[in-house]
Amino acid sequence: MSKPQPVAVTTPTENEKSYEEEHVHNVYQTIASHFSDTRYKPWPVVEDFLNGLELGSIGADIGCGNGKYIGVNPNVCILGSDRSSNLIQIVRDRGFEGMVCDGLNTPYRTDAFDFAISIAVIHHFSTPERRRSAIEEILRVVKPGSPILIFVWALEQSKFSKRNFDKTQQDVFVPWMLSTAKTNNDEAAVEESPKKVYQRYYHLFAQGELDELIVETGMADISRSGYDRDNHYVIAIKK
Amino acid sequence: MRLITHNMLQCHVKNCNDNNFPLRLEEVEVELVEADFQPEFLQNIIGKLEWPAFVNTAVQLGNTNLPATIPDNAKDNEEFLKVLHTALLETHVQQGKMVCPNCSHVYPIKDGIPNMLLAEHEI
Repeated sequence: MSKPQPVAVTTPTENEKSYEEEHVHNVYQTIASHFSDTRYKPWPVVEDFLNGLELGSIGADIGCGNGKYIGVNPNVCILGSDRSSNLIQIVRDRGFEGMVCDGLNTPYRTDAFDFAISIAVIHHFSTPERRRSAIEEILRVVKPGSPILIFVWALEQSKFSKRNFDKTQQDVFVPWMLSTAKTNNDEAAVEESPKKVYQRYYHLFAQGELDELIVETGMADISRSGYDRDNHYVIAIKK
Repeated sequence: MRLITHNMLQCHVKNCNDNNFPLRLEEVEVELVEADFQPEFLQNIIGKLEWPAFVNTAVQLGNTNLPATIPDNAKDNEEFLKVLHTALLETHVQQGKMVCPNCSHVYPIKDGIPNMLLAEHEI
């Protein structure tokens, strides 16, 4: 069976918050455990960024998911946060520390951190204004002169089949197939059990779009940007 | 939640911008969890803390071992670094609440996890 393909959607012009609640927050709450099982390998660009930090740096991982980056570099302190309490419980159960908060309104002091990362998070906000606000919030909490690293899904995807995917459509639902079997002990049962499909909302970023949003904030200079594993990323320095 | 995390937090309720740090800890259950002692890490962390807030918070948890001001020889003072290590990195608040000194908003901590989500009207 081929991989599930994204479906183009039209985003609402009001009540964006409840739209994201239904198509992002609630989905992650439901798929948290299965999602976490598929997210264990750190991406090299993120790993290099974290390993290049000064000993004793303190930073924030905003939208940390299952916390896979929190322990990458034991010489720095990373405070994880995510909107999904089920994902944060997984962080806690792995022996790391996390808190539940909203990426648009974090509880951190202004200029508190030496760095911040937000990996595969900003693409879940459904309007350009909200995506920019999320970036502004990340920049607010780091000290002037400090770096942030942001990853978002790219419109230029290798894993979506060209036949099904219209490259002019940036707002999509990406299906997540969750087995309805209760236990993972019997793989055959899981494999044969009916799957329930959960649709997650994504905004797929075109080349240069993340850079533009960051520049628009007026709060940072771009240090480096690139494309890796179907994502665009930017390292920016707070002014 | 460790105190290093608490030291980075402020109340973020809409229009609560003054006297919103540090959040007061109340009705807490604390657990000490051993962590590797890394003197160099601590030496670099000291200057990044809001020291008086950190000391006051430790006192709220019954830890009165921290000096009111950072000692001049802090970086070479192993006894001090060990006290700092315990308070900052080994003291975990497992249950309780954080209360804003300004607007009295309550942020619950359950099973070690602070819930910092706000209601719609508070954003």
